[in-house]
Amino acid sequence: MSAAGHALALRGLSKRYGSFTAVADVSLDVGQGEFLTLLGPSGSGKTTILMCIAGFVEPSEGAILLDGRDITALPPERRDFGMVFQGYALFPHMTVAENVAFPLRVRKLGAAEREAKVRAALDLVQLSAFGERLPRQLSGGQQQRVALARALVFEPALLLLDEPLSALDKKLRAELQDELKALHRRIGRTFVNVTHDQEEALSLSDRVAILNHGRLIQQGAPAELYERPVTRFVADFLGKSNFLAGTVQEALEGGFAIGAGATRILQAATSTPPIGTPVLLSLRPEKMALLAEGETAENAVAGTIAGWSYLGAGYALNVATPDFGTLRVTLPTWNAPIAPREGLEVRLGWSSAASVPVLDDVSPDDAA
Amino acid sequence: MMSFQPGLFARGSAWVVAMYLLLPISIIIPVSMTDQRFLSLPKEALSLQHYATVLNSPEWLGSIWQSFLIAVVATGIAVLAGTLCAIGCWRLSRRSTNLIRALMLLPIIIPSIVYAIGLYRYFAGLDLLDRFMGVAIAHGVTGIPYVVITVSTALAAFDPRLEQAARGMGASLMQTLRWVILPRITPGILSGGIFAFIHSWDELVIVLFIASRDVFTLPRRIWDGINENLDPAMAAVAVLLVVFTTALLLLDLALRRRRAE
Repeated sequence: MSAAGHALALRGLSKRYGSFTAVADVSLDVGQGEFLTLLGPSGSGKTTILMCIAGFVEPSEGAILLDGRDITALPPERRDFGMVFQGYALFPHMTVAENVAFPLRVRKLGAAEREAKVRAALDLVQLSAFGERLPRQLSGGQQQRVALARALVFEPALLLLDEPLSALDKKLRAELQDELKALHRRIGRTFVNVTHDQEEALSLSDRVAILNHGRLIQQGAPAELYERPVTRFVADFLGKSNFLAGTVQEALEGGFAIGAGATRILQAATSTPPIGTPVLLSLRPEKMALLAEGETAENAVAGTIAGWSYLGAGYALNVATPDFGTLRVTLPTWNAPIAPREGLEVRLGWSSAASVPVLDDVSPDDAA
Repeated sequence: MMSFQPGLFARGSAWVVAMYLLLPISIIIPVSMTDQRFLSLPKEALSLQHYATVLNSPEWLGSIWQSFLIAVVATGIAVLAGTLCAIGCWRLSRRSTNLIRALMLLPIIIPSIVYAIGLYRYFAGLDLLDRFMGVAIAHGVTGIPYVVITVSTALAAFDPRLEQAARGMGASLMQTLRWVILPRITPGILSGGIFAFIHSWDELVIVLFIASRDVFTLPRRIWDGINENLDPAMAAVAVLLVVFTTALLLLDLALRRRRAE
C-alpha cells in the first residue's frame, strides 16, 4: 500500500437533535498522514463528529473538507473512507477473507487482483492463516485486526476508528495499541480515532482534540495537552491533577504569587492577571516531592498523610493541607524518602514551573 | 433457582387443553380408514380404500394441484411484498412506519369474511372472479402479515452497524441489501413464506366468495363434499392436509433451530 495521506478539515461543525446540541461549532484540521484522536467522556459529541465525517450523520451546520474539497453532502458510500466500528461490525455470515474482500467486491475488482489485495491486507495484520475462518471463531483481538484489514484493503483516503480497542481486555489493548501505532507509521495514512480512554489517546496520537458537551476544549500534541492544559476539565480528564485555588497577590519577574489562606505560592507565567483575581492552578501529583528536614523549594506546603496506597511502581499519598484541602502526591517506590503511614507530618515542595494556571470550566454537573 | 413442580390441577388442565387441541384432528385418522361407505368410524376392519379413491380421483388430484399452485404464487407475492415492506419500515424507522406495519397486519385482524365481501366487490370489476390469478392475489395479500412479522423480527436482531459498515465501504443500497441484509434475514423470510403458504393452502372463506367453477381449491372441495355427500374420502384428504401442514411446520422449526445456532 502506498503512503497517501489526505487532509481533513472540519469547519464550524454543529449537530443538533431537537433542542439538544450534540456538537457545537467544532473546527478542526487533520493533517496528511496524521493520527488524530477525538477524546472525551461519553456524551461529549466525539462519536457524532466521527459519524459526520463518515457521512452517517448529517451535520446541522458547518462543512467537512477533504483536501479542500467540500464533502459534506456526499453519501457515505462515496466518501471512500475506511472505518473500524465499535464492536467491529464484521459480517457474521462471511469468512474472514470474504469480509476483507467486501470493499473490493463492491468496487467490482477482478478476482485475481482481489485475492492479491486480500492476502496483502491479511498479511499486514498477521492473520494470513485465518482467511477461511468465520468471525465468531476468532478472538476479540483477531476480530479487531480483521476489521482493520477490511478498513484498509481498499486504500481509503482516511481511516476512521470508533473506540477500536474498547472491547478488549487491558493487556491485549496495550498490545494492539502498539500494533496500531506501528501500522500507522508503516502505511502513512490519515487516521481519525475516537476514544474515551485517555491513556490510549496519549500513547497513540500525534494530536489529541479534547471535547466536552459537544465543544472542542483544547487540541494539541499529547505532551502539550498534558503539560499545559488550558482548562480544569482538560487537566482533570487527561491524567490526574490537583487544583489549587487562590487569588493573585503580586506580579513578579517571570511569574506571579498567589495567596490562599496563610500560604503563598509562586507560579511561573509570561503574563500576570490583575492583582486580586481568583486563579486556579493545576498541579500534577508526580510533580511534587517530599521535602527532607531543612530542605527548601520554591513552593512548600506542610500537611499530614490522610491516606496512602501502594501501587507497585509508586506510592499514592493523600496529604491533608490547611489551605488546599487534600493533595494527591505520587512518589516512586524505589527511592521514596519515607515509609508512608497515616498521620505522618510531611512537607510538600514543587517548583513554580510545575503547576499551570487553568480556567475553571467545570460546572457542578460535571463534578462527578 | 427453585424447581417448580406442577400440581394436580395444573397438570390436569394442561392435558385437557392438549386433548382439546389434538382430539378433533386425531378423530379423522380412524374415520379416514373406515371400511364403511359413509363418514363414520371403522366397524369391522381398517381400510385404505378411501385413500385409493382420492389418489385415483381426477377431481381431488386436480384440486390438490390447483391449491398447491395457488399457494406457491400467493407465497411469492406475500414474500416479495412483505419482505420489501418490512425492510422499508426498518430502514426508515419513523413513527409513520410503525403505523404502516400495523396496517400490514390488517388481514389477520379483520375477519376474513369482511375481506372476502370487499374482494368480491372489487374483483367483479377487475374480471378476477373465479380466476386462478384472482385467488392467488387474494391469498398473497392476506399472507403478507405473516412475512412482515417474521422479517421484522429478523431485522430487529440485525445489527444496524453492519449496514453502516457496508455502506461505509462503498456498497450501494442494492449491494448492501443483496450481500449483507438478505443473507442475515433469510431464515425470517423462509419462515414467513412457510406461514404464507399454509395460509393459502387451507384458506376457505375467501375462496367461497371469489371462486365458483373454474377454481376449485382443496379446502373448497372438502367443504362441498361435506355439504353434498358424506364421502369418507374427505377424511382421507383431511389427513393428507394435516400431514402436509405438519411437515411444513417441522421444516420451519428446523430452520429456526439452525438460525439459533
